[in-house]
Amino acid sequence: MDAAVTSVPNAGSNPAPHPAPATPAEPATAPMDAGSGGGRPRPTPGGAGRKGRRGRQGGAGPRGRARRENLAGYLFMSPWIAGFLLLTAGPMVASLYFAFTDYNLFDAPRWIGFDNFTEMFGDPRWRTSVEVTSWYVVIGTPLKLAAALGVALLLNQSRRGQGFYRAAFYAPSLVGASVSVAIVWRALFSDGAAVDRGQQFLGMEAGGWIGDPDRIIYSLVALTVWQFGAPMVIFLAGLKQVPRELYEAAEVDGAGPWRRFWSITLPMISPVLFFNVLLETIHSFQIFGSAYIIGSQGNACGPADGTLVYTCYLYIQGFENSRMGLASAMAWMLLLAVALVTAFLFWSQRRWVHYEEGAR
Amino acid sequence: MRTHGTVDRRNLLKFAGGSLAALGLTAAGCGTGSGSGDGTVTLRYAWWGSDDRAKRINQTIALFEEKHPKIKIKTDFQPYADFWKKFNTQASAGNAPDVFQNAIGFLRKYDAKNVLLDLREQAGQGNLRLDGFRAGLEKFGEVDGKLLGIPVGSNSMALVVDQAVFGKAGVAPRAGWTWDEYHAALAKIRDTQGRAGDAGLYGIMYLYDLYLRQQGKAFFTTAGLGFTEADLTDWWTRAHQGVQSGVYADPKRTIQAKPKSAVTAELAACEFTWDNFTVRYASEGKSRYGLAPIPTTDGRRTGQYLGSLMLSGSRRTKHPEEVARFIDFMVHDPEVGKIMGYDRGVPATTAQYEAYVPSDPVGRQIAAYEKQLVESRLLEPITPHPAGADVTEAAFLRLGEEMSLGTRPVPDAVKQFFTEAKTALSS
Repeated sequence: MDAAVTSVPNAGSNPAPHPAPATPAEPATAPMDAGSGGGRPRPTPGGAGRKGRRGRQGGAGPRGRARRENLAGYLFMSPWIAGFLLLTAGPMVASLYFAFTDYNLFDAPRWIGFDNFTEMFGDPRWRTSVEVTSWYVVIGTPLKLAAALGVALLLNQSRRGQGFYRAAFYAPSLVGASVSVAIVWRALFSDGAAVDRGQQFLGMEAGGWIGDPDRIIYSLVALTVWQFGAPMVIFLAGLKQVPRELYEAAEVDGAGPWRRFWSITLPMISPVLFFNVLLETIHSFQIFGSAYIIGSQGNACGPADGTLVYTCYLYIQGFENSRMGLASAMAWMLLLAVALVTAFLFWSQRRWVHYEEGAR
Repeated sequence: MRTHGTVDRRNLLKFAGGSLAALGLTAAGCGTGSGSGDGTVTLRYAWWGSDDRAKRINQTIALFEEKHPKIKIKTDFQPYADFWKKFNTQASAGNAPDVFQNAIGFLRKYDAKNVLLDLREQAGQGNLRLDGFRAGLEKFGEVDGKLLGIPVGSNSMALVVDQAVFGKAGVAPRAGWTWDEYHAALAKIRDTQGRAGDAGLYGIMYLYDLYLRQQGKAFFTTAGLGFTEADLTDWWTRAHQGVQSGVYADPKRTIQAKPKSAVTAELAACEFTWDNFTVRYASEGKSRYGLAPIPTTDGRRTGQYLGSLMLSGSRRTKHPEEVARFIDFMVHDPEVGKIMGYDRGVPATTAQYEAYVPSDPVGRQIAAYEKQLVESRLLEPITPHPAGADVTEAAFLRLGEEMSLGTRPVPDAVKQFFTEAKTALSS
């Protein structure tokens, strides 16, 4: 979609092919490019070639042609544009307005300026939700990425049946977000269930996690970590791109497996790692479904607000307490927080993400 | 090549335009009305409840459609909490179901938002009979002179006990027993039966309401809360001690037992709940379960009243007359009474009450319990429920749980409750 946006308007007026040599590291950086906006030329060698040919064919009235082609391009995009305007941009603008109003869905929104934000910052329950979410992000994301990288390293070795294991480890990512798995999870972590018995076997008489407001969050973390399949696949793709000869050379020089991982693998896959960190962090901030289902028996996202993640409190304020204005303000705060974290990650990548020459 | 390409593009444009037009037509076609050419009227009917309730209601609807061939009923149901979220969203868009199940806590809330149909006019036109209700229940759905809901079945707070455990502990509840006697009984059960006495009464708004009424107060006034922070601090401080000493069940365990009740999960010997909920205990647990009187402060007054679920209509319905006829049928028809049983409480009208004679022990107990309440002349009018009562109840339940789990000290929980209640009741 992104590629279409930038290439179609250029057709005709820019006959020169883009200078985008394909490098071995290209697949690894491609997803990153998509995320970082459209300023840079994209590595689309095929597309560039076609454009060049069309530009030369132009003949009479290149402008008219270009306009027609633009029209066709926009027409092709129209389903997406309509969807974006009606279902994304429109509601976002509306919610930005609601964020400064008192709105209960029934009466017309009443402008109250920054009152929603003042109330939010003064609300102890809102602070609880921020704490719960931050804790979940800070604990869950690194564990999930570590698991993904660890398994990807194992699967990168050439052994028999790797295809099967790859599919098997990916499977939880496909089912993990479902309601039924959340219900199973609840059952696993209850009193006298699998986890509790495991604890007793190890000599811990702690009881189930579901009824404990301090520990239920870790059952959520466990559910996230279990779904490491998607980042694992991306890591695996990154690992396959690391040139063999680097390892061979290092081995000749006497580097052990740990040294090879630390000095070759990690720097070589750092763009992939960066991409995964970014994606999973944003993803973690948005957790809702599993928290709502695991935590909700009686009180939503309980017990005692133990699973009150940010989106869950937003949902309660919006749909249980009918305070859509406050909920909209909360949504924009979340967007702002995620944007800040993303900006920080992009700023920090200069220090630790290694791009090969020419890939950037 | 070039001409060919242009033609293709033009065709494509035509095709795209055509599909857009078709899309528009389909969208227009979706906005069908609820009436059709041959005079048949379709009503949407929504309620909350279990599959069992849905099965019974569908039978009553089949009966209604048989007798009123010109009225078709479309149904929709969810569990309680989901029902109200969906209803709220639909109602805010002006698309509430024509008829729906309602409860006392939502009357003022949705009346203030112009969602509820005043059924008084339809009653005046003879489409809805208001005679034949038991114990003055026809007045139950009146708010400020408007008739906003018609009761379908009465219920009352009760104490559900595990009779086997009570028997073995040698505890016999009696009418008019005091809270001190009640707590002595709980301690005895804890000491002799190895399980907590009560499931945890501190978060049940409707029970605390009874306790307050025994002191001449109430949970709500018409505009706000009817008790002080000191009252609630006292109630929750003693509740906290009860959890610590084990006369109330360990909240960590009762939470995990849900959706099973703490009594049938054998974590507690009794709990306060609505009497018509008793039906589920027999199927859920292994013991024998019965109903006991609410403890009192002065040895006589329990503060109890008859509550009821209701059927209400939407103010924006295009067919108020059919809505009234449907409600009339559902509350008066004896066959409907037989099908519904005590699922939504003891039938509100004499015709349905007499049509259904419970054959199971639980049903007989519920009937006897309410009969005794009516005959003892202890029944009082219900506490008013201002708009925001539902959100207040949710906050009371949640903060009671936090207090019991020890994640929030009592004074903190009380303060937070008053803050949240004030917000909910003022909006």
